Amino acid sequence: MEIRPNYVLDVRGEVCPVPDVETKRKLKTMKSGEILEVLIDYPLSKERIPQGAKEVGGEVLGIEEIGPSEWKIIIKKL
Amino acid sequence: MLWQGLIIGILFGIVLQRSRMCFNSAIRDIKFNKDNYLVKMAVVAILIQTLGFHLVASLGWIKLNPEPLIPLAQIIGGFLFGMGMVLAGGCASGVTYRIGEGYITAILAGLSFGISAAAVRKGALNFINSWFGSPITVTLQDPGIYNAVDGKINPTIANVLGINPWIIAIIFSILLAIYIFGVKTTERKVTGLNWIQGGIALGIVGILAYLSQKSYALGITGGWVNLLGGTVAGAPYNWKGMIILGIIIGAFISALISKEFKLRVPKDPKTYLQVILGGILMGFGAGVAAGCNIGHILSGIPHLALSSILALIFFVLGNWFMYWYLYERR
Repeated sequence: MEIRPNYVLDVRGEVCPVPDVETKRKLKTMKSGEILEVLIDYPLSKERIPQGAKEVGGEVLGIEEIGPSEWKIIIKKL
Repeated sequence: MLWQGLIIGILFGIVLQRSRMCFNSAIRDIKFNKDNYLVKMAVVAILIQTLGFHLVASLGWIKLNPEPLIPLAQIIGGFLFGMGMVLAGGCASGVTYRIGEGYITAILAGLSFGISAAAVRKGALNFINSWFGSPITVTLQDPGIYNAVDGKINPTIANVLGINPWIIAIIFSILLAIYIFGVKTTERKVTGLNWIQGGIALGIVGILAYLSQKSYALGITGGWVNLLGGTVAGAPYNWKGMIILGIIIGAFISALISKEFKLRVPKDPKTYLQVILGGILMGFGAGVAAGCNIGHILSGIPHLALSSILALIFFVLGNWFMYWYLYERR
């Protein structure tokens, strides 16, 4: 089943740690049950965000490769 | 030997790319994200190098060469370096290896780091070094495993106390081991080297580098100064400069193979200015402080050098201050 995100955050090309910071900032403003889709091309942040999201009440539902060194992270606000 | 520097550099670049080791991230994550993953990787590397450096020095294969202690330079330069790495989006080794991954901002940060470090070490800003005073040294009758110049040695905990360096090395290693085994590691699913593998690989590369150069541990700052100086002013290239070239080549090969190479550009043009400013601050800071995060942390802490301990403290404070200023301040 395709999950429809409520918000899409494109942090491709951003320097460290902007992808982490923006993702957490967005999650903090979201309501319970809403879905955030993060487009990212920074491998370190891709691996670090699942733990970081937990701290602000988010849960990573999945990480999908969408291109060369590009991923889509689906996060649900709990 | 140039080719040895190049080979060690390539190995280092591969390990940095696969482990994603970055001291800017490590220092920030542990404070602001309660995430100790990269700190634990660094601590594993430092533990291996503490024992490794002292062992190969005791065998007479190298001479330990702690960085010079110039307290004011390590305090001010260290703080500027710490702030600079936040702005640049990576530490000195971090921006260098990310050039090989295709980060356009890393090219700008790396070049501005190199130019400003060269200006301080060899060029127009060289006069600034005299403001910080001369190095404080220790004179020992028998320098033992340390490299002495005219009988003078750069201070470490052991040589200041006048005791066998192994005593301090073993106590320090036990403390690191307690941290490694006693503190829970933040979970992270990685596709490259995990914190243990990455730490071991970094430690081994550091020991190989020391064995190949004999009296100079791995560093980044001097390498950028040499690479740029050799290229624009015709100075002879040396081992240090080849390390930098090697890191970029190694990270590039590693990124290609792991399908992580991509030309990446930020959307906001201000980011380019930010990383250039960060590179300048890092180059200036590491230039006066006698080392960057590799020279002073990865290589310097295993020596238990007073200069490196002081520099580490101010790298951390500068990093935390600038991270707070940029991202946490409301």
